[in-house]
Amino acid sequence: MALEQLIHAAAAGDQAAWDEIVNRFSGLVWATARAHRLSRDDAADVAQTTWLRLVENLDRIREPEKVGAWLATTARHESLRVIRRGTREQPSDEPDLFEAPSDEMFDRLLVERERDGALWRAFAKLSERCKTLLRLLVSDEEPSYEEIGAALGMPIGAIGPTRIRCLDKLRRMVDLAGLKI
Amino acid sequence: MASNRDEEILHELRRLAGEVDPVPGEVTSFAKAALGWRRIDAELAELLSDSLLDSGRVALTRGAAGTRALSFKAADLEIDLEIRESEPGFLLLGQLAPPVSATIDVERDDGSVTATVEADELGRFRTELESGGRLRLRIRRESAPDVETSWIAI
Repeated sequence: MALEQLIHAAAAGDQAAWDEIVNRFSGLVWATARAHRLSRDDAADVAQTTWLRLVENLDRIREPEKVGAWLATTARHESLRVIRRGTREQPSDEPDLFEAPSDEMFDRLLVERERDGALWRAFAKLSERCKTLLRLLVSDEEPSYEEIGAALGMPIGAIGPTRIRCLDKLRRMVDLAGLKI
Repeated sequence: MASNRDEEILHELRRLAGEVDPVPGEVTSFAKAALGWRRIDAELAELLSDSLLDSGRVALTRGAAGTRALSFKAADLEIDLEIRESEPGFLLLGQLAPPVSATIDVERDDGSVTATVEADELGRFRTELESGGRLRLRIRRESAPDVETSWIAI
């Protein structure tokens, strides 16, 4: 079903239509909060507030095709609020996308998968800008540049060149590590 | 143009991100259940401004001992809200414009009403909350439809 119909149906209380919207964008909303380096608990708060905001606006959406970008913007604003409120949790030893993971974490999560570990370590060595952009790019369904721009507060025109540059760096690190990808 | 190799690296990274950092199941269930929060019989007072996001005022508001100022707007009503940190929770100070007496419910996202308070004839109200969380205000007036604010997290 097209987004416009889904939103229309959800606004009228159609749970199946709403579930489909959630499934389509939950990865984007989550990745937006995580790209702001929030802990998983804080990111969960941000995501939940973001979904409540969409519900309260369901009958007011003028451009249904932009709902992904709207969600990303909302999640970015909520992430900034958490950061500025100064009450956020410090990321602990939970899986943090942006730290080089401990060996212990890999023992736990990725048993006997050295290749995954090496790829992840290469990723973790990238600049902050590259890590956040790539984290968005690999959220569930590959988001549009408009959605990525909204999630990161980044001009759309900068995304393509940054993507090329970051993948270039990652590819070289993958080669240096002797990874066969 | 992205090369096939880049696409393969992204593919591996996507698989890995899905394993290391998946969307928590409880977030997805919450999001799906959130449809139950649709406004049925109230008008939305949209969040217009929030000192936490207004970067020019961040330093100022931080300096003012944990005070946050928000404003909401519906078609015929504006709500200014000040949230101050207080022991052990938060103090909410509000102003309705135009001034009108009203009953205000502070609703939490578990469905409970955590406080009910009257706005005086000048449209002012105040209440204390023991803890933060996600909440919204429902403003009930005598001769006008109910108004509900956007959800805010404090």
